[in-house]
Amino acid sequence: MRYILGVLAFAVLGACFGATGAAAKSTRAQAGVTVYAAASLTDVFPAIDKGNSFSFAGSNALATQITNGAPADVFASANTTLPAQLFASGVVEKPVVFTRNTLVIVVPKANPAGIKSVYDLSKPGVKIDVANSAVPVGSYTLQVLDQMGLRSSVGANFVSQETDVRTVLTKIQLGQADAGFVYSTDAHTLLGQVTVIKVPAWAQPKIAYAMAIVARSQNKAAAQAFIDKVLSKQGQATMLKYGFLPITAPVPTITKLSIAKGKPGISVSLSGTNLNGTTSVTFKGVPARFKVVSGTKLTIIVPVKAKTGAITVTSPAGTATSTKSFTIIR
Amino acid sequence: MTRRQLFSRGAQGGAVLLVAGTSLAQFADDAAADPLSTADLAYGRLLVGAELLASDFYTRAVAASNSSPSVMKYLKRAYANEQEHYRSVAGILSDAGVTPAVSSDIDYMYPRGAFASQASILKLAQQLETIMLGTYLGAVGGMQSGSFKQGLAQIAASEAQHLSYMWTKNGLKAFNAAFPAALTIDQASAAMDAFTS
Repeated sequence: MRYILGVLAFAVLGACFGATGAAAKSTRAQAGVTVYAAASLTDVFPAIDKGNSFSFAGSNALATQITNGAPADVFASANTTLPAQLFASGVVEKPVVFTRNTLVIVVPKANPAGIKSVYDLSKPGVKIDVANSAVPVGSYTLQVLDQMGLRSSVGANFVSQETDVRTVLTKIQLGQADAGFVYSTDAHTLLGQVTVIKVPAWAQPKIAYAMAIVARSQNKAAAQAFIDKVLSKQGQATMLKYGFLPITAPVPTITKLSIAKGKPGISVSLSGTNLNGTTSVTFKGVPARFKVVSGTKLTIIVPVKAKTGAITVTSPAGTATSTKSFTIIR
Repeated sequence: MTRRQLFSRGAQGGAVLLVAGTSLAQFADDAAADPLSTADLAYGRLLVGAELLASDFYTRAVAASNSSPSVMKYLKRAYANEQEHYRSVAGILSDAGVTPAVSSDIDYMYPRGAFASQASILKLAQQLETIMLGTYLGAVGGMQSGSFKQGLAQIAASEAQHLSYMWTKNGLKAFNAAFPAALTIDQASAAMDAFTS
């Protein structure tokens, strides 16, 4: 009965709100929640949990529809800005970041304009297709060009601005433009049909996706269950399988050492935050043996060749250095 | 270290070599006062990315703990140099109101076995230092603001010292090119692409 009501409610309300606009693609399942998600999530979300109704479109269009009362339970955006704005206005509950992405250039397989790098996009006559700046991917595109000092020269070659990333990809696949900016995850859905060119790491925008329960949702428990599923180990593994990047691990910090001085071989307890991913600990550059006790505590053995100086903790997310020196006693 | 400090420091360090009355400190004031062009900001971002790559490489090379004491000592010194360079070029951006990238903003990729032995570390170090030197030599000519030329040239000289060490350790003759190759910004960016994403 609940399932029937759910389907009926979605159908009626979907009709009222014109679903998610002309560019939106909807997939309906037999039960679960209604997820309004960025177009770049078209393939991965049903792979994580197909028991839901999905509407995929440009994040900005979805945000507008949700604000206007569209029947979504979860909003998943290709940025953190839109969910934060909706949270501030009470439209959604507190958003959580659930994945990251990178931007790439795609060119038709034949690459008629001979594009090899971002710099080639400023050549006269190159036809570039992008998403409009209101869509996250369009905004990220402009960020890249700004960061590389190429906005005016490359912008002069824009021939079309689309409402979502998948439209850019399709147009490049069909050869309707020489190059376009899309997410790497979208590009990988057409590998073999388009050629992917890297955007330099030093110019990459920070592309983080955030999702939130819609405040008006009548199905909040199920909505939270969907979010939990995306954030789960299995959900994150599926995101990675589809080319998305893991949520950035927070940088470690050091707050306290159990002792300020000691002989080589003794054990020192280090307190801090985000210590789970620690890969190395050094005493003024001298590597030390250590054990991760918890995310807030390490046990370290002072190395034989340790020198008096700062203790450094390194994880894939970054490095923390103690503000006070550790004095070696010999 | 801020932009102003970078160039003030350059002025102080070079004072004994310069004729009286030459004021490099004035460049520091100019550097701090001049708004940067978008092209120069782009160069600043590239250099920050290059320094983050070099720092990450040396961090891993030291952590591998498989080099001789003398090589290990040099790797640590090179790491310290790159960190100081990073603070300087990051200062160019932060003084201009731009947040510089940090290590966690970039994913690094190295060839398989890059840190498996001292030999593999030195081989890759030579490749990276060639890129670093070319990048800074290109920046000396490529950045529009004249205020940065001395500081950039000083960093280029430091990278050349690293490269020379790697050459000799790899059994080659000491680096002795009269005119080492400068990389344009797109060439430098493409060279870094092999190691970053």
